[in-house]
Amino acid sequence: MDKIRRRRDRLEVVYDILRIIRQHHNSIKPTPLLRYSNLSSQSFSEYLSELLEKGFVKEITDEKGKKFLTLTDKGFRYLEKYKLILGFIEEFEL
Amino acid sequence: MYTSSPLFLLVLRKNISYMLAHHLIDPTRLAVELGYTIIVVSLCFIIFFKTREIYDLTTHKGIKYFRITFLFFGLAYFFRFLSILCILIKVTFDIYLPYNIFKIFPMAFVGYFSTMAILSLTYSTIRKELQIKHPLLLFNVIAVLISCIAFISMSHSLLIISQAVLLSFAIIMATRSYSKSRKTSQLFILYILFFLFWIVNLFILGPKRSLPIEIQIAFQIVSIVVIWVIYHKVTKWTK
Repeated sequence: MDKIRRRRDRLEVVYDILRIIRQHHNSIKPTPLLRYSNLSSQSFSEYLSELLEKGFVKEITDEKGKKFLTLTDKGFRYLEKYKLILGFIEEFEL
Repeated sequence: MYTSSPLFLLVLRKNISYMLAHHLIDPTRLAVELGYTIIVVSLCFIIFFKTREIYDLTTHKGIKYFRITFLFFGLAYFFRFLSILCILIKVTFDIYLPYNIFKIFPMAFVGYFSTMAILSLTYSTIRKELQIKHPLLLFNVIAVLISCIAFISMSHSLLIISQAVLLSFAIIMATRSYSKSRKTSQLFILYILFFLFWIVNLFILGPKRSLPIEIQIAFQIVSIVVIWVIYHKVTKWTK
């Protein structure tokens, strides 16, 4: 078994977080998202703050006061364009 | 009659010899320059705008420096044409323009924008090996310095030499980077050609350094092909 795990880069981590939200019918609580994203709680908080700030995800609160995370249009666009973004970076060796 | 006066004939002869020396009054040459500028500037700006979305989504530093390269190159080519136009207007209509006004374009603006473009494109490819804290600030300082020295000294050659030095630095850094990864890059060759054609274009802009129009057109066609290939690669990933 390959014990050395490849370190994910920032774009990949963002993609993984957004993909997990989408897979959960575009509504997931922060705690399970942390678990599925395979990040430390500190890294997860940093990524989540960045995603909220940049408008990739938004927080919604239901009538019981529970917080959920959902993707915005920008978040969906990122998922849609991810392969093209990677292709572009590889093509121009950026 | 005024038109047959010796003074008028002397001024006319002087102007014609100046125009011929610069080869700028030739309508064919002007049309070629205009067409070339429109194509190159359009391609550069299209590359800049087409990459906006992927930059907005990722804020990737490599993409940032890649796209601003084309913004700066577009502006450099635009000001290059303006400087040609300025000289043309001066010689055609015999308008008095202080030397600084028509010299400021090639020396200051063209120098600044092209230096920024060369540095940005180089940095976009080697930024992983070259960690700089505030790259944009550093590039601005270098670009302003180069354009100021060239402008103050009024030396067109100085600008060409400084750009050639930058180009050599870019080639050395990129070669080091590629020799580590042991791969031959088509992109590396494209970038080198792109820079070389820019220096040839800068050389043409210099006083009394016009190339024969056939050679100039050939250079410009190949230069358009190089930018077109880059544009084509960009459009493949920015649908």
